[in-house]
Amino acid sequence: MRVIRRTILILAMCASPALADPPDLSGFWTLEPGPPKAGDPAMIAKLPPNTVVLADTGITEFPTGEYGGLKPKPEALAKAKQWKPQDEMTLSRVCAAPSLIYAIQGPFPFELYQTKELIVFKYEYFDQVRIVFMDGRKHPPEDAPHSRTGHSIGHWEGDELVIDTTHFEPATITNNGLDHDDKIHMVERYKLTPDGKTLMATQWFEDKDVLDNNGARFIQWKKKPGEYVFPYDCDPSLATQYQETKTLDGK
Amino acid sequence: MIGRTALAVCAMTLLCTGPARAHHSFAAFFDPDRLIRIKGTVTDFHFTNPHGTIGLDVRGSDGKVQKWRAETNAPVVLMRRGWTRTSVKPGDVITIEGWSSRDGKPYLRLKQAFDASGKAIGAQFGQTDS
Repeated sequence: MRVIRRTILILAMCASPALADPPDLSGFWTLEPGPPKAGDPAMIAKLPPNTVVLADTGITEFPTGEYGGLKPKPEALAKAKQWKPQDEMTLSRVCAAPSLIYAIQGPFPFELYQTKELIVFKYEYFDQVRIVFMDGRKHPPEDAPHSRTGHSIGHWEGDELVIDTTHFEPATITNNGLDHDDKIHMVERYKLTPDGKTLMATQWFEDKDVLDNNGARFIQWKKKPGEYVFPYDCDPSLATQYQETKTLDGK
Repeated sequence: MIGRTALAVCAMTLLCTGPARAHHSFAAFFDPDRLIRIKGTVTDFHFTNPHGTIGLDVRGSDGKVQKWRAETNAPVVLMRRGWTRTSVKPGDVITIEGWSSRDGKPYLRLKQAFDASGKAIGAQFGQTDS
């Protein structure tokens, strides 16, 4: 009898983590101010080998020619070196949304909605909306349409939300000329701090055609109850205003 | 139109945090070590994303009017810092402090703006993210 009781107890202990409800990540989240955070050691330790953690989250940005330890392949590096900041100030470029590879670490907030089957990120930056499928489906075929938000599938590992994203359109990695291609693969891990007021994440990516190593960021957001994202509605006339600004000698 | 209050541009170097960024790279486009201050009359104010802009007529040391433009953070960010689409109006005399563009144009990223009485418009940029 005691053996049976003990067996039931052990089975219950083993089963409880899987049966427990996942943490509730829903709410309005805004990037923590200040320089990039060092990162939660346990989350950083889960990053795959050959990964550099980029120090460009928050207010920090890399200047021209600095890629934070990423190792672009020669072709990607040559293309990046040809890039000029003024290239972005054209009507066709100024409202081109970046992919989530760059966008998620910026200074803009998001709303997160959570159900058992779906998680939805509503980002303020460029009004992007992203659905994470939690129903066990796989990614679509390789030639399925690509987008700036990609195709995301997720699952829970204990108290961590793990999201795997593919099918990105080519876009910037570091906002200074280094672009990823449509084969880039991103894995994010989200976790709440014990008080539930801070959401931590690692964003890891590999792009074997573009980079000789892998990149990652550690990002932290604060919960702000009662707030909501504003419409972005990008207006490309900024490019015209910039182009019409002449140098003081009239050129 | 501009009056005698318009000032020549002065440049100064300071240690500070960079501004909250938006769609195009601040570090590549603006010089974080060159903070300038201009005073002039507002010609137009665009309160649209990805960046608002303020057109400013500034009288140079030679007495001629110079056409400047200051780029702000995204209005979605401005709104959380106390700005509205009527915070600045054509005809207002204001002072703008900001980081100079690297391309030599009279174009800068706004850090802080002050009205004619010297009162700050909204909250300072570069100290918090949003």
